[in-house]
Amino acid sequence: MAEDFVVDDIDRSIVGELRRNGRATNQQIADTLKLTAATVSARIRRLEDANKLRVVAVADFSAHGYNVLMEVAIEVDGRPASEVAAELAAFPEVFAAHLVTGRYDIDMLVALHDFDELPDLMLNKLAKVRGVRSMMPAIVVDVVKYKFDIAPIEERSPL
Amino acid sequence: MTAPLLDDLDRQLIDILSKDARISNRKIATDLGVTEGTVRGRIKRLQQDKLIAFTAITSLGLENASKMAFIGVQADLDNVRDIARQIADLPLVNAVMVTMGRFNILAFCLFTELDKLLEVASDQILAVPGVHHVETSIAVKTVKYNPRIVRITEADHSNENAD
Repeated sequence: MAEDFVVDDIDRSIVGELRRNGRATNQQIADTLKLTAATVSARIRRLEDANKLRVVAVADFSAHGYNVLMEVAIEVDGRPASEVAAELAAFPEVFAAHLVTGRYDIDMLVALHDFDELPDLMLNKLAKVRGVRSMMPAIVVDVVKYKFDIAPIEERSPL
Repeated sequence: MTAPLLDDLDRQLIDILSKDARISNRKIATDLGVTEGTVRGRIKRLQQDKLIAFTAITSLGLENASKMAFIGVQADLDNVRDIARQIADLPLVNAVMVTMGRFNILAFCLFTELDKLLEVASDQILAVPGVHHVETSIAVKTVKYNPRIVRITEADHSNENAD
C-alpha cells in the first residue's frame, strides 16, 4: 500500500493518547495536546481512512467463550500454500493464519470453546483441506504477554 | 477457566465497540434502547473484569515494526514461566505464550530489518539462561488475523499501564 503515507509527531501523539484511552473525546485529546478538536478529528479520520488506525474495543478470548488456544503449524504438499491458507482461514476457529518461512508453510492460531471440539476440527476440517500434508499443534498453556496494539489492519467493511 | 456470564446486551455492546470505540454512550444507548447509565455501567464492568479493553490499533508499518516473526523456543520446563517472562520483557517481543508442542515458548517479534530479528532471537533470547534452542519463522503474508480477539493480561492492559 501507499508507502508515501506520512505520519508526523502530531499523529503519533494523538495515537499515544488514544492508546491510553481509546474513548477519550476529541476535545479531551485536543486539550491535552494543545490542538483543536477539529484537528484531532481530521487527523484520526485521515489515519482511519488509510487503514492505518482503528480505535476499538478488543475483547478477551474468554469473553467470546474461547477457553482453548492452540498454535498449529501446517506443512503443505502439492498445492500452493497461499491457496491452502485461504481455505484454512475460512474456518471460524482459525483466528489467525500466516504464510511463513521455515520448516512449516502456514502458521495458525486456533481458538476453541472446549477440547471436545478438537477431534472434529483436526480430523474433519483441517485435515480434509487439500494440500495439508501434516499438522503440528501446540497447546497454549499460558499467555505471558499479548500486546495487541500493532497489527495488520483490514479494510473497513460495512459488517 | 470459568466461562464468564455475558448476556445479550454485553455482546451487543462488545460488537458495537469493537467496530468503533469512539462512539458515544448516548448513541449506543439510543441504538440499543437502554439508558446511558446502563451503557456506562456495563462498559465499566466489562473493563474491570478484563473482558474488554479500549485501544488504538495501528497497522504494521506505521511505526518501527513492519514485519512479524514467530520465534519458537525450547527451554527448561521446570522454570519455563520465568524464562517466558524474561523473553516478554524484550522490547520488540509483543506476545509470548507458554506452549506444549514442538516448542515450550512461542514468542512473536515485530521487526523492520532482518538483523534486528536475528539480534532478538539469536542474541537476546538465546542468551536467557535455560533457553536451549530457538527457531525463527517469518510471517511473509497475513492471510487472516482478528486483532479484536486478544488475551487481556495484567501487563498489557494498556489503559492502566499508561504513564
